[in-house]
Amino acid sequence: MTTSTLSQPTHSTQPQRLNWLYWLWILLLGGVFAVGIATGVYVLQNGLQVTNLTDQLPWGLWITVDLSAIALGAGAFTLSAAVYVFRLKQYEAIARAAVLVGLLGYTSAMLALFLDIGRPDRFYHPIIYWNVHSVLWEITMCVILYSTVLIIELLPLVIESTPLRRIGWLTSLAHGIHRLMPFAALLGMGLSLLHQSSLGATYGILTARPVWYSPSAPVLFILSAMAAGASLTMFVTLLSSIITRRQLVPPNILRGVTIFIAFTVLAYLYLKIWSWAATNYYSQVPEQQLGLEILRANTPYNYTFWFGEVLFGALIPAVLLLWPRLRQNPRIVMVATFMIIVGVVINRWNMTLSGFVVPLDWLPGERSLPPNTYVPNLVEYLVAAGIVAYSWLFFSLGVRFINLYPESKPLDNGDAIIIN
Amino acid sequence: MSTAEKQEQKTTVLTRRDFMTLLIGSGTSFVLAATLAQPLDNLLTPGIRETLSSDGHYAGDSPYRWGMVIDLSKCVGCDYCVYACQAVNDTNEDMRWNIRETDETATGNVFHVTRPCLHCNNAPCVSVCPVKATYQRADGLVVMDYDRCIGCRYCQTACPYGARTFNWAERTDENPQVPDFGRPEVERRARGVVEKCTFCIHRIDAGLENGLMPGVDADATPACVNICPVTARYFGNLKDPNSEVSRIIAETPTLRLREDLGTDPNVYYIPAEGMAL
Repeated sequence: MTTSTLSQPTHSTQPQRLNWLYWLWILLLGGVFAVGIATGVYVLQNGLQVTNLTDQLPWGLWITVDLSAIALGAGAFTLSAAVYVFRLKQYEAIARAAVLVGLLGYTSAMLALFLDIGRPDRFYHPIIYWNVHSVLWEITMCVILYSTVLIIELLPLVIESTPLRRIGWLTSLAHGIHRLMPFAALLGMGLSLLHQSSLGATYGILTARPVWYSPSAPVLFILSAMAAGASLTMFVTLLSSIITRRQLVPPNILRGVTIFIAFTVLAYLYLKIWSWAATNYYSQVPEQQLGLEILRANTPYNYTFWFGEVLFGALIPAVLLLWPRLRQNPRIVMVATFMIIVGVVINRWNMTLSGFVVPLDWLPGERSLPPNTYVPNLVEYLVAAGIVAYSWLFFSLGVRFINLYPESKPLDNGDAIIIN
Repeated sequence: MSTAEKQEQKTTVLTRRDFMTLLIGSGTSFVLAATLAQPLDNLLTPGIRETLSSDGHYAGDSPYRWGMVIDLSKCVGCDYCVYACQAVNDTNEDMRWNIRETDETATGNVFHVTRPCLHCNNAPCVSVCPVKATYQRADGLVVMDYDRCIGCRYCQTACPYGARTFNWAERTDENPQVPDFGRPEVERRARGVVEKCTFCIHRIDAGLENGLMPGVDADATPACVNICPVTARYFGNLKDPNSEVSRIIAETPTLRLREDLGTDPNVYYIPAEGMAL
């Protein structure tokens, strides 16, 4: 039924033996996605009482999914800006994949948020009732506008690589959109710079929570998102290259993105260490010290921060990606980018949980309230798994049916993917 | 090569001129949007919210600023105020608006702290709400529009006093404090919205309309204040220097919770015995 789409030049040489494995993979992802949808319906019917969230700890796993998905979608704005704003046209070879990853990340975030708000039927309220003083309002508006930009950026590609191209007016629409691309890229960059940082500010501005309160949170969020977003795009590109046995993106472009990731992750690490040292080493903020003590005593925060976020999430991958010999090995680049991705997800989880675990301190006397605890339950995990499966499913379909990698070539140098 | 050339033609890049045009254009539209936000909001929500300023505070003036004084040295921890609030505002057992905690002075003197919403003049919950479902009236009351709340729970996250509760489930429970401590005077809130203490706004508004003075006449005074068996709670108009609350604050040393956060609460506490101010 899809012979016309399979006759795309990119895919005609794909080994046949991969076919059944591919469809098995799609089926598996589709199954997990379906379970996620069923669980989501259950949540909508019964309300948020089916989660393990409480009034003391009202944000949990789904907020982590939302924050991570938006951070991991940031490759779209950096690479689109590279192509259309900074005139690095050759990066178009990977920018399309980044835009698809971005759109899937943002739609994943919106799925998570839709279930996480108490009144999904009022999801549109921020659009009509403005509180310009709220970072969350700004984030909502930016995310809605930016998702629109991503759809516009992706639409021509979908039209041109599917049977939709036979419909005349759609093709002319696609041509028209092509001319808007630079504007879309610039708008996307502006919106992304705004809301990626504001997500950090969501926590960073709360004076009542000493573990969160930090002027560096917004900058840490945008830097980590830029590193993680490009990392995910790189990771899925290399993975797809290995599976399809094609050099999907030219070697010099892969190297460029690798070096960009390495320096961005270094900048993130630099600010992270300084923002720790300024408040924990060179000076002591009593409330923050107390908060960290509570976290150390009650959670694995200390280890996940130093090992998960700093060492394995930033320092080691930066070294791997900056070492010329190592970064030429696609498998090492995959390991390094995967570490960055996991590091940022751990960071978003730690960020969300840390501020809530430390109890509010409003009692006037000497006593304090007990620390708050939270462990996600099955419903929350199933919905989260469904959302992840959704994004993997559509990326897998995209790699196959959309002309995502315009400069894709069959491997001619043995079996190796070259990064140079 | 030919595909690369084709690519070259297809990809339009941004010129400096385009960039400047866009910069000016987006700047202008941002200013325009920010200017129009307020009138647009007022247009969409007529009635009581007309004078709401852009940061969620009432721009208008009021002869009243409602405030409360709670005497920690008198409180015996009987929980009557907690139960009366639960009955009158019909809250769930797990989501009481007015709560009690046990605390201790540096000298080991145990005392009780009851905590309604503090109705801060710089309420973090007001400024973080993405839809202005929480707002502060000109008379100081921080209240909610339950029909507007989307249930994002950012206000719960931002409130330094944990004074907000969320409707995790549809309410079907029977209120155990009814009728012993009063009868529900307000509607139950729907599933999925946050709720909070209102200083019994319905009594204040209806009372003023009928010529009663909140804090003086019981029918216009919050339920928690009326029921206190040891008169540890006082309520009244902070703008009137002769009101009971104003006189207590002028004559007695009082404290407010977490003044360092700059929230400027309208609830004052008389310290417990042996408590350093």
